[in-house]
This record gives sequence, structure tokens and C-alpha cells, in this order.
Amino acid sequence: MSYAVEAENLTKYFGSLIAVDSVSFKVKKGEIFGLVGPNGAGKSTLIRMICTVLRPSAGKALVEGYDIMRQPQEVRKLIGVVQEKLILYAPLTPVENLEFFGKLYGLDYKILKERIKELLEEVKLSAVKDRPVGTFSTGMRQRLNIARALLHDPKLVILDEPTNGLDPQSVRWVRDYIVNLRNRGLTVILTSHDMYEIDELADTVAIMDKGKILEMGRKEDLKKKYGATKIEDVFLELTGRELRDEISGRLRRRGW
Amino acid sequence: MVMKGPLYHLYVIMKKDLTEFYRVRARLVSMILLPILLMLLFGYMFPGNGTITHIPIAIVNQDQSTGAISVINSFIYMAQSGKTFNVITYSSLSQAEQALLEGKVYAVVIFRQGFGQELSTGSATVQVIVDQMNPTLDQIVTAGIQQIFSQLNVQLSTAHGFPAYFGTVSVNFQGLIPGAPSSFEFLAPGFIAMSVVMGGLAGLAMAFSRERELGTMDGILMTPVSRFSIVMGKAMAQAVRGIISGIIIVILSILLFGVKIYGNVFLMALILFLGILAFTGLGIIATSFVSDQESAQMIMLMLEMPMIFISGIFYPVLQLPWWLRDIAYMFPLVYTVTGFRSVMVMNAPLSAVWNDVLVLLIYSIVTFAIAIPLFQRMVTK
Repeated sequence: MSYAVEAENLTKYFGSLIAVDSVSFKVKKGEIFGLVGPNGAGKSTLIRMICTVLRPSAGKALVEGYDIMRQPQEVRKLIGVVQEKLILYAPLTPVENLEFFGKLYGLDYKILKERIKELLEEVKLSAVKDRPVGTFSTGMRQRLNIARALLHDPKLVILDEPTNGLDPQSVRWVRDYIVNLRNRGLTVILTSHDMYEIDELADTVAIMDKGKILEMGRKEDLKKKYGATKIEDVFLELTGRELRDEISGRLRRRGW
Repeated sequence: MVMKGPLYHLYVIMKKDLTEFYRVRARLVSMILLPILLMLLFGYMFPGNGTITHIPIAIVNQDQSTGAISVINSFIYMAQSGKTFNVITYSSLSQAEQALLEGKVYAVVIFRQGFGQELSTGSATVQVIVDQMNPTLDQIVTAGIQQIFSQLNVQLSTAHGFPAYFGTVSVNFQGLIPGAPSSFEFLAPGFIAMSVVMGGLAGLAMAFSRERELGTMDGILMTPVSRFSIVMGKAMAQAVRGIISGIIIVILSILLFGVKIYGNVFLMALILFLGILAFTGLGIIATSFVSDQESAQMIMLMLEMPMIFISGIFYPVLQLPWWLRDIAYMFPLVYTVTGFRSVMVMNAPLSAVWNDVLVLLIYSIVTFAIAIPLFQRMVTK
């Protein structure tokens, strides 16, 4: 099996509103899969379904061969997720945050302790491991958030807008770290609004709009097909230049 | 060997919630400060027996027999020496009733014509009319007058200062609120149960919707943890927090208002614990339909406020009209308050409050049996 994710006709309705419209795609193991789209395109909804947090209205998806609907517990053990919203508790210290999630993943305490030490060193937060996360800068929080997603040694890492709102140094660190994850053999799904980021990092790119995947392929192939030098040009060619944020606003009001 | 089942995860989530709560100073302070404020407010608003003195009451004597006069003199002596009452003698009943209406006195004690005659042949009756405008004072006055007459009866039966052929005096109260014994001791357990349940509910609304709003709930949902562990872990954190705040409030009421505990503290804790759980289950059901914190808090408030006034905290449930009483009995607060009060004030054993305990237990089980799948549905939509 050479695919980390295989999705077939994944669909999600919120009431009468269709957020993800019969989407099919495959993510190869060990690649960085860039998922791009304007606001409200359905990226986050799609990702939340893959993460087993949202139940699809129709269609199916396998993560490392496990069905997201029938075997959600198995899927959860294999994926690490960095969402747009930080999954961290501000009053707790980094160690407490990581211990909490590590225990929920069922890691043995001794192994967990070791893993936390190792990860905190990796994300350069060892020095502040006993300070409440609430006192951290955005960049520090995001680094810890990434460490949290990697706690249980997942095979697939999903990063939803991981560099949003970070300073240039932190952005650089996160981007290098993503490449590092791939080099270690992990599969990465990356969503971003930053086309340069996708251009730099992704191996395969899927362009999504209005709940559908409009185009998907190897980054270089896409550029060649549309006679473009940048992924941004391909993106704008496919999704147009008019401004939009309506659908996302509607979904936000529903609490998503 | 580490246990890794749903109960372990439940414990991990509970501990996290409590640690988080403990870390945020404002929340911690409010947990201690709110009960103090409530106790001060209620404690002084509804003072105990010992704190109110010299309550003016009227005496009307319509019988000039020596027997009546000797009993009245003893009554006045006892009433004033205890400093609870200030006795004013009126010559006519209409004057005394007028004074009662005007709020100059809080009760009228009437010795009717023939009182002395009745006393010398057996039992005599004294009529007492009590001002009902202030239910709490009413309770204090009633209890106080009853106490004086029971002391008087002891003296009468032992012929202490009275002729041996005198019988005893029975008191006939008019227009009394049924069921309410007296004083802050009746009210305190209700306040304690209420503050604890309210605290639990407020915390719960926060615990769920805040995590959904922040996005951390997704983080928990993405771990291979059962929904049972998430819901129960959070509910348990509130229950533990509630018990701690209950202990603080009880200690404060003992120190500040001289409230006494007559019953078993573990039974009291058990009732509070089940009360919080029952309400928590109900709260999860009510708030599972909204995803933001503010709406959740509004729903909780709508659930709480009416409950507080109909659950026997301020006055007995018996006093409510039947339909309101039926509504009160549909919610767990009334069982928590009744059970907790019976144990705390009347030293009721488990056998006496088992029905309250059972109702709360069933309530908890049923609400959680609904809440857990509902939570699962709501978070995964």
C-alpha cells in the first residue's frame, strides 16, 4: 500500500450548505501534499473529516488503510494534527500540556517522559518547559503545538495554516521542520494561504474551491500544464481574482 | 503497570480540568469569594435565632383571673429575660391587631376570657397571631413563643411557682406557613446546596463550550479516547470542585453564622456530589445544542434561576401552587436541598433520605446516558 490517504467522494453538508462536494484524492506516503484554496473552499472541513472529528455526510476515506468512519480509533493513533486554532491549554506548562495529550494517546509514562524531553529539545522549548503556555509568544506556542501533534509518533501529520500569524523567524523554522518531517519518512498534508509556502514545500498540490478539488497533480506538472512559473498563477487562473469570504462567514456563524 | 482504560482517561481529563482551574487565579478566587459573598448576603438577610433580639410582640389579656395573671407574668418574665422579645401589653384585641398590621409588633399573644378557668380544670389554649409579611421573622417568632410556652409547661407540670392543680397551656398559631421550622438553620443548607450546584453548572458551561470555542476540544477528540471518558472526566472535575467549594461554604457558615452540623458529613458530601452530577448531566444536554460559551452560559442561567426559587431554598416547596411544585420535583435541585438539609439539620440517616439519594442517582445515570451520545453527535455533527 503506497497511499497514506485515499479519499473517495467525501461529502459534507451543514444543513443545506455543501461544504465539501464529493471530493476524491490520494496522498502518497512520504510526500508533502499541499492543499490550497480561498477562504471557505472547504479545506478545514475536509481535514476535520480526515481527522475523524467531523462525520462525512457521504463518501469514504482510508488513512493508512483504516476507515475513518469505522475505525476512527486506529486512525487517531496514526495522525498528528496542527489546526489553525492552537490545541494547547494556556494555564498549563508545556510539560503538562504534552503529558495530558500523551496520556490520552495511551503512551506509557516512562516513554512519554522521554518523548516529551526529546520533542521539547527539538522545538527549542526545553528552557521554558515549566512556564505557563499563556506567557509564550505566538511562535513558541506554534512550536509547542507541533510538538503536541508529534507526541504519539504519527505516520501522517496534518498542518492547517501552520505559519499563520508567525514572525519570519518562526515561519522559517516551521517550514524547515516540515521538510525535516518528510525527510524522516512522514507524510504531510499542508494547507496554506501562502502560495510561496506551497511552492517551496509541496510535492503534490490540490487546488480546492467551493467544496471541490479543481486541479491536482505534481507541482511541476501543474505549472507546466498552465504555462505558469508559480503555483500562485495556477491558483489564480483556476479560482479567479474576485474577493470572497462569504461561505466561510456563514460557516463561522454556525460555530465552525 | 499503568491502567489505560476509559477510567484512566476519565481521570486524566478530570485532573487536567482541575489543574487548569487551579492555575487561573481569577477562577480560583471566585470559587472562594462567591460563596463568602453569598453567605454574607444571605446570612445577614435571613439572620439566625441568636442574632435578632428584642422583637416587639403584643399581649392581650381578656381574662382577669389570678391564674391567667400569674401565667402572663411568667410569660412576660421569660420572654424579656431571654432578650428575644420585647413584650407590650394592649388592653384590647383590636388595638393589638392594629399594631400588628402597622408592623409595630410581630405577633399578638391572646389570653382569652376563661383562660384561668380552663387552666384550673385541665388544658388551656393561647391564641397567637403572627405577622406573615416577613417569613423568616415569622419563623423566629413562632419558634421563640413555642419555646417559652414549653418552658412554662414544664414549670406548670412540676407546680414550680404555680398551684398543683393547674394544667398545661397549648398554643394555637394562626396563619402559619406550614413546614418551615425556623431560622437560618433551615435556610443555610439550602444556600450551601444551591451555591455548590450553581458553581458546578457555571464551570460546566465553561468546560465544554470554552474548549469547543478554543479548538482544544478537537485536540481531545483526535486522541483515541472514548466520548464517555471526555464527558465523565469533565463532569467529575466539576463534582470534585463542587465538593471542595461545599466544604469551604460549610466551614464559613459555621465560623460566621454559627450554623451547626448535626448529621453525617460523608452523607452530606454524597448528596452534594450526586446533586452536582445530576445537574451536570442536565447541563450537558441543555448546552450540547450550542457551540459558543456565551449561549451556553445563558442556557445555564435559564435553567438555574427558576430552580433556585422553586426548590425549597427560600421557603418550603409545600408553599408552592401544585403545578409549580410538580415542576420543582422534575429537577434535581429540590432533592439535593431536601436531602442535604435533612442530614445537616435533622441528622437524618441514609435510611431517611434514601429516596432523595435514589432520585439523584437515577437522575445522574439517565441524564448521562442521554448526554454522552448527544455529545458524540454534537461534536461530530
